[in-house]
Amino acid sequence: MTKKYAILLFLAAILAFPLRSYANEEEGKVDVKENLFHHLGDGYGWEVPFSHTYRIPLPVIVRAEDGSWHCFSSARLSEYEEVTDAATGKTHTVAVPRIVTLGKEGSADTYRFVLAHASKHKDKVVQLLPTSAAEEEDAIKTAAAGNDEIVDGYVKFDGRYYKEYKPFDISITKNVLALFIAAALVTWMVMGLVRFYTRKGFKAPRKGMGFLELIVDFIYTGVIKSTLGSKAPKFAPYLLTAFFFILVMNLLGLIVIFPGGANLTGNISITLVLAVFTFVLTNINGNKHYWKEIFWPDVPLLLKFPIPIMQIIEVFGMFTKPAALCVRLFANMMGGHMIVITLTLLIFIFAAFGSVAAGASSVVSILFSVFMLALDVLVSFIQAYVFTLLSTIFISMAVHEEHEHEEAKEAAA
Amino acid sequence: MELFTPDFGLVFWMFIAFILLFFILAKWGWPVIIKQMEGRADAIDKGVEYAREAKEQLDHARESAREVIGEAQAQQAEMLREAAKMKSQIIEDAKKEASEEARKVMEAAKVSIEQSRKEAELQFRNEVSKFSIDIAEKMVRNQLRNDEDQKKLVDKMLDEIEKN
Repeated sequence: MTKKYAILLFLAAILAFPLRSYANEEEGKVDVKENLFHHLGDGYGWEVPFSHTYRIPLPVIVRAEDGSWHCFSSARLSEYEEVTDAATGKTHTVAVPRIVTLGKEGSADTYRFVLAHASKHKDKVVQLLPTSAAEEEDAIKTAAAGNDEIVDGYVKFDGRYYKEYKPFDISITKNVLALFIAAALVTWMVMGLVRFYTRKGFKAPRKGMGFLELIVDFIYTGVIKSTLGSKAPKFAPYLLTAFFFILVMNLLGLIVIFPGGANLTGNISITLVLAVFTFVLTNINGNKHYWKEIFWPDVPLLLKFPIPIMQIIEVFGMFTKPAALCVRLFANMMGGHMIVITLTLLIFIFAAFGSVAAGASSVVSILFSVFMLALDVLVSFIQAYVFTLLSTIFISMAVHEEHEHEEAKEAAA
Repeated sequence: MELFTPDFGLVFWMFIAFILLFFILAKWGWPVIIKQMEGRADAIDKGVEYAREAKEQLDHARESAREVIGEAQAQQAEMLREAAKMKSQIIEDAKKEASEEARKVMEAAKVSIEQSRKEAELQFRNEVSKFSIDIAEKMVRNQLRNDEDQKKLVDKMLDEIEKN
């Protein structure tokens, strides 16, 4: 028992020390919101552990105002500067944004890009357009009038205003790379199982592959086949792909270092695409019965004839169902990440009150974080399962024949 | 806020990544796995069914074997009983026949004995008559050695004939 307490205290001490010094460096000020959204959001590079400045460089792909495509390394977007703290005299390195100039300096086809900070497109790469002195004057005036340094259509960089253009941006960002890693992982897992089958014939897989097969069976037999019946083979590939993709993305998001750490399913772009797929699949496969339920449901005539109340509700429902799918997954995953990050940030906030508070809050925060992460593992599975289950139900409602529908209703009742 | 507004680049790549993943897995992944899993499940079901049937057949075979054995035993008993019956019948028959035969033999023997006895009697009679004639002749010869005796006799004979 005493041994356990000793380990716990030791851990707390280790955890508290560097944090305290770090907190001192930052003069005890922690921008919680900034940190939170930085960790939840996307980025042009990928953070590595134990470095505040270094990012794994990733390609930035943008389409400039004149329609030309440009590709450059994200490492070029920032440079490192030594900063000396006036109070303590310590120096540390910080990354500051800089202008990336492509093409010959001063010629007509020079393209300048910068990672915007004081702009409407914060933390995005924007193209700097040639700005006349009059235009800059205008921007400064607008900023002074609005008492806000952000001016629409302009980006403030190094104290100067430039006209900006938000390029068409398909950069391989941190999230995009994480997406590819997740897709590759799913492919590797599934094709591994397929390879096992082709090699070993009818032998049942064991261990990891057996577990994978168990999950496939759990989803296929338990969810897809029991809901869709004879139509299961047609929709199973989409539903299984969605399930495993979501599951792997969820779990990768919980790993804090390199191959993981990207908050993918907690990003609305990802869940939106998934929900759109379900929406499209549901509606292109909808049968006569499905459309009849929407445009001429079995309700009293007055509810649907002179004023199409029911039709409006049903059409609205068509869109709210996938929208709920999208938001549910997004909110659950983002919520989980947010709680863990906030708990971690608590340490930095309490660090301002001295080492005792920092040490105590470290222990509490870490215990809670571990608990929350464990819970998130469960949530990862549940959310992937729920997404698949609801997609299956939406599709089954669209493709089921009337008598099957009645039977399902009876079974539910 | 960045998190709540879809980012075009990410949507674009997500679309491509998902479509690619979907096509790869839909073509080479899931159908194979599903077919394999269902195939194996069917094979297991079939195996169990086969085993159950085999057991049933075995039980059935045991039953029928027992039946056959029982039948054979019954038949055997029947046959034994019949054999015993036949044996006693044969013995009975044999006995009857033997006694009949014996009776016939005895009869024949009796007849032949009677015959022999009659023959012997006849022969004996003949012998006796022959002997008696001989004896009579000798006696007569003896008695009739003198003439007086012969005359007496003739007289006597004649007396007798006369009386008759």
